[in-house]
Amino acid sequence: MKVEEIMNKKLQTIEPDATVYDAIERLVDKRIRSLVVKPEDEVDVYGVITVRDIVFKVINKALDIKKIKVKEIASKPLVSVSKDTDIKTLINLMATSNIARVFVFEEGEIIGVVSLLDILSASIIERAKERQCL
Amino acid sequence: MFKKSFWGGSKEVEVIKKIKKHISILCSTCQTFKSALETEDEELIFMVFDLEREADIVRREIIAHIYEGAFLPFLRPNLCQFVEIVDEAIDEVEDAAQRCILGLNLEGIKEECIKIASLNLEACEMLSLSFEAFCQGEDLREKNLAIRIYEKRIDEIKIDLIKRLIKTKQIGNFWEGKILSDFLEALVNVSDVIEDASDHLQIINISVR
Repeated sequence: MKVEEIMNKKLQTIEPDATVYDAIERLVDKRIRSLVVKPEDEVDVYGVITVRDIVFKVINKALDIKKIKVKEIASKPLVSVSKDTDIKTLINLMATSNIARVFVFEEGEIIGVVSLLDILSASIIERAKERQCL
Repeated sequence: MFKKSFWGGSKEVEVIKKIKKHISILCSTCQTFKSALETEDEELIFMVFDLEREADIVRREIIAHIYEGAFLPFLRPNLCQFVEIVDEAIDEVEDAAQRCILGLNLEGIKEECIKIASLNLEACEMLSLSFEAFCQGEDLREKNLAIRIYEKRIDEIKIDLIKRLIKTKQIGNFWEGKILSDFLEALVNVSDVIEDASDHLQIINISVR
């Protein structure tokens, strides 16, 4: 199975200068766990801000969510793969990098994201498609 | 030995064969409807109506065969109900298809609707595998879970779709809005009903063990 078959195309982006509060609002409204942070300029790269980043890097340290900017806590660069990557390679990458989501790039553009839950769901469906032996 | 006598009679074999046919008509209906959305070919919509009628005939035959004496009496109502639920899923596809010939406007949401139709088809195919597994006396839990995953994905698309429609879609008049609303309701209900059928099959499976 390839990444393209299970990736989620629902991506939400946020400006690097937006506040963490803006990010929280977006995450809650859209019921998602991460946002892609746009590059600041032409030499910059895409980043990601997750619920985990916000809780551990801002809330845990009692910092002001309306003062901290997204770019200050975003992780860069994104860990990414091509849409043709097979799932086993993807799982190995996630295990060695200790990450919960990987972005899918095509010709320099992000076209999707695959999370651990997407992999879990796909593997359950694959197992269910196999006939069990009596 | 018990299994052979339980399933192996000629009446039972005939009913099982027809139930498989009924489920395969459900799969064909979903496939045809998905192709109709992709190609906007009205002929395919009329094929959906034909398939629904064919499914009705098969449903009547199954229920008649069951009450002519196939299976143990305690199992008959449960099997009939399973067949009725599968038939309800076909009716939902037909309901959605009917809206397509009533001037449905899918501008801006066609891609999501095709995705839902495609997931409906995958859920039907999983139900078919689940019924095969049931006939072999296998455990259905994993197939049941796979159907729930499909249903959850459709629910997520539905919520996003409705939010987007509220914000952006311009509805010209009452009937345009009603047709679109009825279409979406029927389209997303298909997987709900398939999930019900899968749950019901799981209950029957437990009861015959």
